[in-house]
Amino acid sequence: MSLQKRKKSIDADVKITYKTYLKPLLYLLPFIISISIFTIYPFFNAFVISLKENYKALSGSFTGFGFGNYEYVLTNETFILALKNTITYVLWVVPISTALSLLVAVLLNRRTKLQAFFQTAYFLPLVTSAIAIGLVWRWLFNFDYGLINFVLSRLGADAINWLNNPSYAKIALIVYGIWSMMPFTIILLLAGLQNINKQYLIAAQVDGSRPTQTFAYITVPLLAPTIGLTMIVNMITAFKVFNELFALFNGKPGPAYSLYTVIYFMYEQFYVKYRLGTAAASAIALFFIVMILTLIQLYMQRKWKNY
Amino acid sequence: MKVTIKELTKKFGDFTAVDHVSAEFDDGKLIALLGPSGCGKTTMLNMLSGILPSTEGKIFFDDEDVTDLSADKRGVGLVFQNYALYPHMTVLENVCFPLRIRGVPKKERIEKAMKFINLVHIEDYLDRKPAELSGGQQQRVAITRALIKKPKLLLLDEPLSNLDAKLRVEMREEIRRIQKESGVTTIFVTHDQEEASSISDSIMLLKRGVQQQFGTVDDLCDNPVNLFTADFLGTPTINQVHGTWSEKGFVADGQTEIISFNVNIPTGTRLIYASRAEALKLNQDKQFEAEILEKYKVGKDTLVRLKYGNGSLRAYTEDKTIQIGDIVGVGMKDFGVFLFEAESGKRLL
Repeated sequence: MSLQKRKKSIDADVKITYKTYLKPLLYLLPFIISISIFTIYPFFNAFVISLKENYKALSGSFTGFGFGNYEYVLTNETFILALKNTITYVLWVVPISTALSLLVAVLLNRRTKLQAFFQTAYFLPLVTSAIAIGLVWRWLFNFDYGLINFVLSRLGADAINWLNNPSYAKIALIVYGIWSMMPFTIILLLAGLQNINKQYLIAAQVDGSRPTQTFAYITVPLLAPTIGLTMIVNMITAFKVFNELFALFNGKPGPAYSLYTVIYFMYEQFYVKYRLGTAAASAIALFFIVMILTLIQLYMQRKWKNY
Repeated sequence: MKVTIKELTKKFGDFTAVDHVSAEFDDGKLIALLGPSGCGKTTMLNMLSGILPSTEGKIFFDDEDVTDLSADKRGVGLVFQNYALYPHMTVLENVCFPLRIRGVPKKERIEKAMKFINLVHIEDYLDRKPAELSGGQQQRVAITRALIKKPKLLLLDEPLSNLDAKLRVEMREEIRRIQKESGVTTIFVTHDQEEASSISDSIMLLKRGVQQQFGTVDDLCDNPVNLFTADFLGTPTINQVHGTWSEKGFVADGQTEIISFNVNIPTGTRLIYASRAEALKLNQDKQFEAEILEKYKVGKDTLVRLKYGNGSLRAYTEDKTIQIGDIVGVGMKDFGVFLFEAESGKRLL
């Protein structure tokens, strides 16, 4: 055995000590440092701040640790309203946007000449600013000049005061939310569809299955893991709804302050009222709500994808 | 059900995968589509199933023209090479699927399924998912799923290629048994001539999309129309010696003796002499001499390889005294000896 070979074989089964990790750690350091500063530290700091009572951001002074901020947030009427609004938003936006995205993904998955065009068209919202798009939606929903009211009037219906009537404003927000959630969902579902072995679809056809049956019995079950993933990601995103609200109502939480969401509440506590403690407490409360719901969803989905 | 194909053709761009193939497959028979890879046999199967539209030609099921009928309306059973069992369904759900989509009530479809399940012996793992089954078990499930809708035609695409050697022999007998018991006309694709010869009633041999010969196993072995057929079928591979026709008979390259045959061939024609190993006899009715190169024990017989001309010949013998290096006289039986035109491969004798 040559010397070089022998050295290599010794290297291969070298004993693992703390020193073994030193070199890889060095390579990972830039990432670890940046994620520590910008993600991990703020996350834990938010915990700490939420427990500091009468915390002043500028001086850093506080009167002691306790659950006062949580008590304030969880009994605050605006926060309860924000939570209700957010849950309503999630319950409408996530299922509808997933269903519509599935429809679009299936259509896109068929090889057509216009496929490239449609792909670009549907993915465009993903690369445009939510605020800019929000302005466009504001125009679409405009009472006097909006395209939506124009279509409604042509259909013989009365014009709707979308952005100033609280109950219609909620619908407007949900419609915009569904639209803005679709591109990312379509990308994920399309990737999932393309991973399904075509042979199963052909086998089903030979078994006598009509296209709708094949979709229901083969495509959807095989896509279930992807659908589950998009539902979780979308649920988390939807719980954090803010941009859509901010853009659609010109920085206000809907007409007559009726459309508070949890993040808008947090934003207001932080930027407008400078109450860092309650802002952090509301963020942590949202974190636990989302985490619990995600865990429930994951548990339920385990039953789906058992192959 | 009788299946008739007329001038069936499939073109992919400039490439012709199946080239004007016509045949009749009789009711209740097991037919093999045989040929080397890329000969168009799977393409033909896909056209029969309706997955692939044909470019030209017609397909008839009995007297009904099904050429333009889509796969879901043809009522054929198809077993894929990798079985294509639905991974999210259990064995029972897989088997019942064709009935489920036809709206058969659950109780009734399980009742029907059980009959077939007993036929193919998969009753022990009905609740398992396909991923938990071995290749042989998956294949049985795939066959059951294909049979349950009572197809008039069962198509199998390389059904044995994913199995190990021992299981392959077992499963091909199993396919034969299931086919006999169900009585369904069955067409299966294979590139293995032994597999095709061992279980099928007749074989269609294809080469580059062109039908070479269609007939019973005996037909193809004892009466090949061309060198390709003679070469493709039979174990060991048919002996081949290049040579020329000189008035009375065949003269192998590098030899002087004339092996006479009772046939009219223009003098000087380049020929290939081909004979089955079992058609040669050693030290009897000597027609030419050859030297023993090797000998092997095959069962109760001895297989010897003889040097003759520029090629070699295999022959069986029961004579145990034969040694390597011996010069023996070789005679021929009245079957399994052919002459082919070297250029075209056309059979002349």
